[in-house]
Amino acid sequence: MRITCLMYTNNMSTVIVVKHNGRQPDRGLSVDVYYRLLEAGILALAGGEDIGRAWNRFLPAGTVGIKVNCLAKKFNSTPVALAEALVRHLTDHGRDANDIIVWERTGRELAAAGYTLNASANGLRCLGTDANGVGYGQELHSSGEVNSLVSRVLTDMVDGNINLPVLKDHSLAGMSGGMKNMYGAIHNPNKYHDGNCSPFCAQVNALEPIRTRYRLTITDAVRIQYNGGPGYVAQYMAYFGGVILSDDPVAADAIALRILKRLRADNGLPTLEEVGRPVRYLQAAEDLGLGKADPDEIVTKVLLVGEGGVAHAGGLF
Amino acid sequence: MKRRTFMRCIGCGAVATAVAQTELLPEFLGGMQNACAFDYSENLASVEARYYKKLDGGGVECQICPRHCMVTDLERGYCGTRENRDGTYYTLVYGKACALNIDPIEKKPLYHFHPGTTALSVATAGCNCNCKFCQNWDISQSRPEQTKNFDLSPDDMVEICRTRSVPNIAYTYSEPVIFYEYMYDTAKRAHEAGIKSVMITGGYIDDKPLAELLPHLDAVKVDLKGIREAYYRDVVGAKLQPVLDRLVQIRRAGVWLELVYLVVPTLNDSDAEFTDLARWIKANLGTDVPVHFSKFHPQYLLKNLPATPLATLERAYDVSRAEGLEYVYVGNVPGHRTESTFCPGCGEVVIERKGYRVRGINIDGNACRSCSRTIPGIF
Repeated sequence: MRITCLMYTNNMSTVIVVKHNGRQPDRGLSVDVYYRLLEAGILALAGGEDIGRAWNRFLPAGTVGIKVNCLAKKFNSTPVALAEALVRHLTDHGRDANDIIVWERTGRELAAAGYTLNASANGLRCLGTDANGVGYGQELHSSGEVNSLVSRVLTDMVDGNINLPVLKDHSLAGMSGGMKNMYGAIHNPNKYHDGNCSPFCAQVNALEPIRTRYRLTITDAVRIQYNGGPGYVAQYMAYFGGVILSDDPVAADAIALRILKRLRADNGLPTLEEVGRPVRYLQAAEDLGLGKADPDEIVTKVLLVGEGGVAHAGGLF
Repeated sequence: MKRRTFMRCIGCGAVATAVAQTELLPEFLGGMQNACAFDYSENLASVEARYYKKLDGGGVECQICPRHCMVTDLERGYCGTRENRDGTYYTLVYGKACALNIDPIEKKPLYHFHPGTTALSVATAGCNCNCKFCQNWDISQSRPEQTKNFDLSPDDMVEICRTRSVPNIAYTYSEPVIFYEYMYDTAKRAHEAGIKSVMITGGYIDDKPLAELLPHLDAVKVDLKGIREAYYRDVVGAKLQPVLDRLVQIRRAGVWLELVYLVVPTLNDSDAEFTDLARWIKANLGTDVPVHFSKFHPQYLLKNLPATPLATLERAYDVSRAEGLEYVYVGNVPGHRTESTFCPGCGEVVIERKGYRVRGINIDGNACRSCSRTIPGIF
């Protein structure tokens, strides 16, 4: 596969949106389809032709964490197929399964979303922070108004982390994507939902263990709940058929927000601003230097991946 | 931990209860759960919460405290202990104690309520505030799945009190408002068994749940953390006015009330604040409500501040006395002369204390033995 990487200026962030160019599946996408989406996406993001080198451009040696979002059980969590495709990519390109940890706040949530737990010391691990020997670190980390203990998965067990959220509407934050997913890494997320989660969501992502372990955001945007989230409400699900990749956590969410807003408009819903849920934490995150929130400073590239290969799309929609 | 195991632990740990210091009950040392495995479903309760309103679209509005959290499906309120599941709101901490000790009642502190007795003191995880000075933040700022919890029903608590001859139950350490249902049911059972209940709280609760709870309580100690809205906003993460309203409500209900004011250097320690506090108490609660000015120790998010100087505490004491408050104490300073209760009529010591230990009571009923003046309280 050859994807020509655009030449970006240094002060621009890059977001790759890879869409499945095929018939909408009855259920979610398969592992194989996700695998191809990720392949096209990481090559486009890294530039070049070697997939292994593309992954290694972003990921450190050592152990990699994959933070999924399993709040909403099977219907509206990070699909197991996406996590499996990502793990397969990493193992296919040189990383030992023992050096990968798929993780979430609790094992119960992982299991309810269809993940198979493995909290042992061997093999691909899949565990909650509540697993035996994990827990939260003893050090209280602070950023602005946020003061939290952070999962030991981040503080002690991984060298870098891939954020693997699912894009959805959120009743308080406006949107739940990559940055909101990191609420699952702290011990007291309930304290930080006032004010549309702003500036708290930005400050959570600025906590030292979260900020320094961050490597990539890969957001599942195949089936998007555009209203009524974060729990599952069937009537507000729409098919978009893509994943969003970026090494800029703010830019990844900024593009995800464009998609979410478009789906709401297409379905005749008022804007997030009109319903009192503006996504304000993105600007707060940019102000903290976490990434780009302004679409004018984000280069967005949209790819279509289907049976015929990879093609460039004209736009997001 | 199951009930049988729990009861065995209590039995094995038998120590005389006539103590002046905290008695740690074996296996009941709560706190953050950092390295132990436990079954998530066993660790959480699923008892429907009281005081909430169902909203269109599956959300709920919590009505237990002034926050009135709007909580959508699978989310929790600010306290982290109440969860919306398919439009029904549940408390996750009913019967899930994370701390249990037998304390002197003076440790609460309650100085005018059965001095020299003990209280079975219980807490669950969670709090509806986020005080930057919290001394128990490892449990108050945790969610219940993050603490080591024990199955402890209201009946279990009554049974412990009976077998250990403990006359009081104190709902304390974290914030009992967030385990309201558990506290309510326990207090009701305790009363039926002749055991008293005291709530140690920040007072951040709505009027209706408080009104329905008060008949089952015998005393309330409220941490009035400041007398400025800005302090509540910046340091407590809450609002002052609802707390003031609840203080008046408790007083009017005739339930015994004492106040603690934690004096935090540079944040709430000005003469103007002490004066305003005393004047508000005098005007709204009366001069005979005991007020404890407690020494702050650097904790949690205020480790940058020094401990409260004794001179500051004594200044608070002097200002309050000058404003007419009759029962003022300096707290967290063992051995200080104001630990004891003095009769405002004759100046004699009517309750002599050293630390948490009561060394003498010179009251008959509620009357000073020296001058017969009525000393307010429940003795």
